[in-house]
Amino acid sequence: MPLLRMRSATFAAFDASIGPISLEVSAGERLALPCASGREAAIVALLATGIAKASSGSVLVEDYDPRVQSVHCKRVAALVPHEPLDLNEAGFVRCIAYRAALWSVDGARALAHARLLLEKLDGMHEAFAFPLVAALIVEPKLVVLDRPQPAYAVQIADAVGTRAMLSTHASLVAARAFAA
Amino acid sequence: MLYACAAAIVAGLLQPHGSIGPMLLGSLLGIAVALAQSPGRQPYLDRCEQGAPLFGRELARAKALVPCIAAVVATAAYLAAQFAAGARDDGATLVVAPAAVVAATLTALSATIRHGWPRAFYVALAMATSIVAYALVAFGRSIPGELGFCALVSFFALRQYGEALARYDPVEGI
Repeated sequence: MPLLRMRSATFAAFDASIGPISLEVSAGERLALPCASGREAAIVALLATGIAKASSGSVLVEDYDPRVQSVHCKRVAALVPHEPLDLNEAGFVRCIAYRAALWSVDGARALAHARLLLEKLDGMHEAFAFPLVAALIVEPKLVVLDRPQPAYAVQIADAVGTRAMLSTHASLVAARAFAA
Repeated sequence: MLYACAAAIVAGLLQPHGSIGPMLLGSLLGIAVALAQSPGRQPYLDRCEQGAPLFGRELARAKALVPCIAAVVATAAYLAAQFAAGARDDGATLVVAPAAVVAATLTALSATIRHGWPRAFYVALAMATSIVAYALVAFGRSIPGELGFCALVSFFALRQYGEALARYDPVEGI
């Protein structure tokens, strides 16, 4: 059973339509999806995590339809937003505690896990590492990255490990860095 | 919240009599605090909440807590200022004002995820809730009626907010 299936999924935004998008991501698989624009990449990432619902076509996250069972979709998939997160140490600890509370994960364990991941991501700017770490502490099966930095492709893949990964990109060059 | 309480205290000292002041000003402050929760101020926190495995109604209850507490605390500050200024009402205001303020605040929450005229509509509806609540007390002279009205409005407003959050696609600003 694929973790993520999109079949001719479209999203009708206020002034433009995104899609149709068709893709499949199975457990342990990695897919780098080049999109027509940064906006499309961002919206596809939201569709893949069940945060936004497709206007037509179908999106299934582990057989759950976000239009009906968005909670289950959000337990399976975690989004790493494109924007960097500029936080100091105290802010990062609060961020991890907040996410752990939202996902009902043990706070102390989440923080310990976060610190281990940060050590693993040594060499990656903290502002880009924090969102990735915050996504991984909730133990998702599928990690969806919205336009990740190509320069950190290797570290990101290493941190994601054996989890399935979908990355959306605004250019073919960026997608190739993650497809390699 | 501090600014809201300060404004309420000043108003309470200037207008120490009657329930209209705490009800309407408290409602305005509650609406302002509710609107301050609109997505966009803290984009990362917004994404955390949108991506969290929570039902719409659970998220609605969590997001309603802060503006309701802030509005009730500001209303309490107003009433305390009224008391300090020498007002000696029969105590009914202590009950009807927070009820109206909470109802207006919960109604305004539905405005936070809308734009343009739908947003303005919900803000106007929130103020109208407060005005109707006041009218029930001042002209209808029915405290149970006002409390029942506010309870009903609060219930449906929170339910509606939860439904709206469940259907909301957060793609503005992308």
